[in-house]
Amino acid sequence: KNRVCSTHSRNMRGCNDRSCGCTLRAAKAADAVPAEKVFEYSSSSGASLKSMDGMRVFVGLPLDVLSEGGKVNHEKAIGAGLRALKLMGADGVELPVWWGIAEKEAMGKYDWSGYLAIAELVQKMGLKLHVSLCFHASSKPKIPLPEWVSQAGQADPSIFFTDRVGRQFKGCLSLAVDDVPIFDGKSPIQVYQEFCESFKSSFAGFMGSTITGITVGLGPDGELRYPSSHLAAKPNNNPGVGEFQCYDKYMLSHLKQHAEETGNPLWGLGGPHDVPHYDQAPSVNTFFKDEGGSWETTYGDFFLSWYSSQLIAHGNRILSCASSTFSDNLVTVSGKLPLVYSWYKTQSHPSELTAGFYNTANRNGYEAVVDMFAKNSCRLILPGMDLLDEHQPSGSSPQSLLAQIKGSCRKHGVRVSGQNLSVSGVTAGFGEMKKNLLEDNGLVDLFMYQRMGADFFSPKHFPLFTEFVRSLNQLDLDEDDMPQGEGVMRSIQAKAEAQA
Amino acid sequence: MSSMALEPLLHHTLRQSSPKIHPVKHRKSVPFSVNFNSRPVKIGGSLSLSRFKPHKSLSVIACSATTTLPKTSESTDVIYSETFQLTRVEKVEGKIHVRLDQGKDGDHWQLTVGCSLPGKWVLHWGVHYVGDVGSEWDQPPNEMRPPGSIAVKDYAVQTPLRKSSASDGGECLHEVHIDFNCNSKIAAINFVLKDEETKSWYRHKGRDFVVPLVEYLGDRDNVLGAKRGFDFWPGTFGELSKVLLKAEEPQPKAGGGVAASAGSTQANRLLEGFYEELPLVKKVPLCNTLTVSVRKSPESAQKLVHLETDLPGDVVVHWGVCRDGTKKWEVPPAPHPSDTEIFKNKALRTRLQIKKDGSGAEGFFTLGKETTGFPFVLKLNDGTWLNNKGDDYFIPLPATHEENLSEEKEAYISTGSPSGSITTDEKPSIEGQEVAQTTFTDGIIKEIRNIVTDISSERKWKTKSKEAQESILHEIERLAAEAYSIFRSSSTTFLEEPVQEPKEVEPTIAISSGTGTGFEILCQGFNWESHKSGRWYLELQEKAAELASLGFTVIWLPPPTESVSPEGYMPKDLYNLNSRYGTIEELKAVVTRFHEVGIKVLGDVVLNHRCAHYKNQNGIWNIFGGRLNWDDRAVVADDPHFQGRGNKSSGDNFHAAPNIDHSQDFVRKDIKEWLCWLRKDIGYDGWRLDFVRGFWGGYVKDYIEASKPYFAVGEYWDSLSYTYGEMDYNQDAHRQRIIDWINAAGGTAGAFDVTTKGILHAVLQRCEYWRLSDPKGKPPGVVGWWPSRAVTFIENHDTGSTQGHWRFPGGKEMQGYAYILTHPGTPAVFYDHLFSHYQPEISALISLRNRKKVSCRSTVKIVKADRDVYAAVIDDEVAMKIGPGHYEPQSGPQQWSVAVEGNDYKVWEAL
Repeated sequence: KNRVCSTHSRNMRGCNDRSCGCTLRAAKAADAVPAEKVFEYSSSSGASLKSMDGMRVFVGLPLDVLSEGGKVNHEKAIGAGLRALKLMGADGVELPVWWGIAEKEAMGKYDWSGYLAIAELVQKMGLKLHVSLCFHASSKPKIPLPEWVSQAGQADPSIFFTDRVGRQFKGCLSLAVDDVPIFDGKSPIQVYQEFCESFKSSFAGFMGSTITGITVGLGPDGELRYPSSHLAAKPNNNPGVGEFQCYDKYMLSHLKQHAEETGNPLWGLGGPHDVPHYDQAPSVNTFFKDEGGSWETTYGDFFLSWYSSQLIAHGNRILSCASSTFSDNLVTVSGKLPLVYSWYKTQSHPSELTAGFYNTANRNGYEAVVDMFAKNSCRLILPGMDLLDEHQPSGSSPQSLLAQIKGSCRKHGVRVSGQNLSVSGVTAGFGEMKKNLLEDNGLVDLFMYQRMGADFFSPKHFPLFTEFVRSLNQLDLDEDDMPQGEGVMRSIQAKAEAQA
Repeated sequence: MSSMALEPLLHHTLRQSSPKIHPVKHRKSVPFSVNFNSRPVKIGGSLSLSRFKPHKSLSVIACSATTTLPKTSESTDVIYSETFQLTRVEKVEGKIHVRLDQGKDGDHWQLTVGCSLPGKWVLHWGVHYVGDVGSEWDQPPNEMRPPGSIAVKDYAVQTPLRKSSASDGGECLHEVHIDFNCNSKIAAINFVLKDEETKSWYRHKGRDFVVPLVEYLGDRDNVLGAKRGFDFWPGTFGELSKVLLKAEEPQPKAGGGVAASAGSTQANRLLEGFYEELPLVKKVPLCNTLTVSVRKSPESAQKLVHLETDLPGDVVVHWGVCRDGTKKWEVPPAPHPSDTEIFKNKALRTRLQIKKDGSGAEGFFTLGKETTGFPFVLKLNDGTWLNNKGDDYFIPLPATHEENLSEEKEAYISTGSPSGSITTDEKPSIEGQEVAQTTFTDGIIKEIRNIVTDISSERKWKTKSKEAQESILHEIERLAAEAYSIFRSSSTTFLEEPVQEPKEVEPTIAISSGTGTGFEILCQGFNWESHKSGRWYLELQEKAAELASLGFTVIWLPPPTESVSPEGYMPKDLYNLNSRYGTIEELKAVVTRFHEVGIKVLGDVVLNHRCAHYKNQNGIWNIFGGRLNWDDRAVVADDPHFQGRGNKSSGDNFHAAPNIDHSQDFVRKDIKEWLCWLRKDIGYDGWRLDFVRGFWGGYVKDYIEASKPYFAVGEYWDSLSYTYGEMDYNQDAHRQRIIDWINAAGGTAGAFDVTTKGILHAVLQRCEYWRLSDPKGKPPGVVGWWPSRAVTFIENHDTGSTQGHWRFPGGKEMQGYAYILTHPGTPAVFYDHLFSHYQPEISALISLRNRKKVSCRSTVKIVKADRDVYAAVIDDEVAMKIGPGHYEPQSGPQQWSVAVEGNDYKVWEAL
């Protein structure tokens, strides 16, 4: 009478190998990793056949997987979660490694122990690890920058991004100080590089085997952008256009120099005067207006070109440094782009402009960005694969923007890793994600789902996620929906026959 | 005919065309097979030439089921010998090809239908004559019937397919040729294929194959060779991929006829030769044997186990040893047999050696004297696992006395052919196939992926046994639950990465329309009398809060449209939502009210039939009015009452009103638009689909995908099986039909579990609680086979209420609810029961279900199914019994306390 029960336990005991069937793919994908570096995406043929085998799926570990003190938070849950992911057929997890935790105490003094413990846990579970090196702070959960960085900021407030009325963004360093020796004679780039080197040597045993990829932080929230909307008041409603962040003294001096070199010294005294505030619409004031806005003037072009090229140059500095640091390890290096889709349907794309992407109705601003990624042989992480235009305020278009960036990636042969933007727990978007992943012929072959936590494992969300993963593994029915009788199989059979 | 002008150009056939054409035609078959084979990757070869090899082996296997006992055993020593039957199912793929070409002269044509799979194939066919109305078949004229044809009733003949030698590569090919004169009055040839061996019918997209001989047939999508014109096979795969891409049902319309000018004098026909191939999957039951014999080693106390099987190809034995009479798997100490690997320190995997004569494989295993058991399972090289009816094979080994211990022979598994030669049925590896695929042009890859995604489930099933699947699923769920509880209780966790511009996103629900969240509890919000007050929506609105507090998550409202009958099931103008239940405004208000209290609303949509507004010229009511002013093309052709001009019905007919022909594109488009309107304008969240027996489930899938409901459930109600008036114990055929429908609908909708209701009737009326466990120890209804898609119920407006077509045994309703509200599946509570003296008990059961998080996917362990009592434990959280007999749950890891108790039922919850 106890048949169901005994069947269950027997299989768990004797036949663990069967469960292995669903995870073989993971190993295979890992083998393929080195090949990615030489991956070429021919735009003429429009396709590569490499990743036919399917999508690799990673799941982000909680942002606070380590406490500020460097201890693993709720380790048991993480363990159970990892095992569930493994059984499900996910390939690995993404681990946020915080500057403010690993190099907390003093410059050059690293504590990797907590992260090493996690890497071991992941390795033991037979999963892969994608590490995100976070050179920014997090507000929720609160993970600050290293204390000594903040102190440097007190000494020289201009190391942080600043808007036109002097408000600062202290979530990361201004890109203008990349090469300025603000830390006892060392520049941020040097500090980032040493961080990478230390990480590399501490995790040497995992590199290329368990650790298959590294994302290096490029700005606010790790993304390559200016913190142009950090002071937006009501992000839920129709978002404003944000503001330019070029008013720290280092940025201003760059601008001044650039203006003088190009023969318009008066243009180098500050950013544009006729811009709206953070929360305002593009129609407010004259800079972003659809018809005859200043953005279309020679001055507009001057400023926007400079502003966006600063961002790209910053990205290039960090990516080339990371790329060279990790080049002898079999890991891929990635950088993350934001998906600034608000106001995409307007002529001037104001939100993108303030975020640092000179992308308008007349100009493809992502070409240069993607080209920079291509030159550094880096992958590009794109969030927002779950978003649908229809859920957005009018004027926004995540789908079109995504398509545009993906187009540039295709052209330049840059591989894309997808991410969702909505936090897990919102059950939306799986269909859209799947669509994004499956189209484009393998352009997007890795997905980093955000992220593990209570909502992720909730009964409202988890089955959907399982279904999603399995469908990416080319399975349509989700697991628990697998019909359970031979009868069902017979029926599927009949269906196939009927279609034959 | 309008086509006459073109005629001289078109009369030519493949056979008459220059030899150069032939390679073209042949190439055509290659991409099909590649595409098709790529789906269940592990079967078959990668290219068409190797594709049919497995079939050859099939016939070998099939006839070699009787196996000789192992030769190696010396009878005196044999201490154990047993032969096991290995039954498995293999999917073989082949193709049906249909060719129309010109015969001896211009007027003689030949239709060839062939099939590349072995089987006893019969072509079941008929014709349409020019001028026939409707879609009925007629018998072909005698001169058309090939020898051996047998007339079936008065509308079809059956002609066996014969083995053809003309096939290339010596493939097994069955063909039938039908000769006809194109001057005869035949408009089309219709057929289906039947395999007499398996009694399976093979149809085209759920309908007949149609070969049109005149042009009138239009754009029906089951027409073969319909794509006319001069498009030669393009020679690249682009075209093909286009064709395959749009196919959720693969419907390769091959490049169409290769036609060139010929000297035909045929005046009134426009006939082209064509050649098409359609993929075919046949499931072949295979029976092999495995013989295990155990000898005592003459020299030592060791035991020599010999495994011999006639399974073709590589067979890997996944095995271990047991000691001390336990069944605990252990890895025996080295040395191990050759060709053995250790699997995760838990078991060994040994490849059996292929026998010299190629008739199978065998292996020897030497086991130490302390070994008391030899557990194993088999793995085939296509990833299939074979076990002993759900259990591991377990060979008990009696303890042996210690005898002289001469040194061990190094004879572990040394057998058979050392050559490692490849048997005829050796299957190419997956890798090989993928490499092969990469050589094709780019565009096709994506299409393959699409298709693979579509039918992927088949592939998975090949690779893992059902039990293994289940156990993995259970484990994943258990782990997720564990992680959930820890994370949830931990206040230090934040889940969100600060998103730069967070936003409200409406949940999209298409992916779970078959189940909702999985935790749904449905209320049927009306009965057969509800229309009488004329203000039902208003009455229901007042009950919304109460229903929500009872724990319901979904309510099913009555059919909202204008209807010829007051109850709403005879709809007329679909866009008129003023009904006897209330006005459209009242409907919107009640929907809004339910949304306010957090209950989703299902609309009862009647899609099978629709009452007409007007009569046609014959006085038959089959012309519609209102916004959807369809004519008789929207009515199925095979119900003589309504003289439809559509196609034959894709399901059963409901005879009281014109049945809608869902194969018409305009009908489907209109219905989709209507459903979307209901979703958007009225606010319905999902559907209860009336009488879905009446049309193909694939159309339902189409509708659901278009309207993206939160939840959908179909009514597929037909009779259970009875023998001499007594309900059969085994209702697999009945639940199979329901599951077939769910499947046809792509799992996008659930279905009412009529099977469970029927069985509960017999159980309660006759006190036969043993019926509640099927032969495999699972629930005997749909809920036992596909719980997440089963909507369990015990009564509805038809079966009960004032109609009482099939009333649940009186006074025993609470036993029924104790069953469905504790078990997996999505339970539905009938309005009449809810608002009766049962309410407190039903309410207690619902709150227990919600409290214990029992879902449509919960696991059920049947612990007792005797004459007078049935008991089960669900998710280790809830225990229940129904019936007068005694049962108390065992307190083991969990302590039980009584949660709900009533007449002949009792439910406990784990503390």
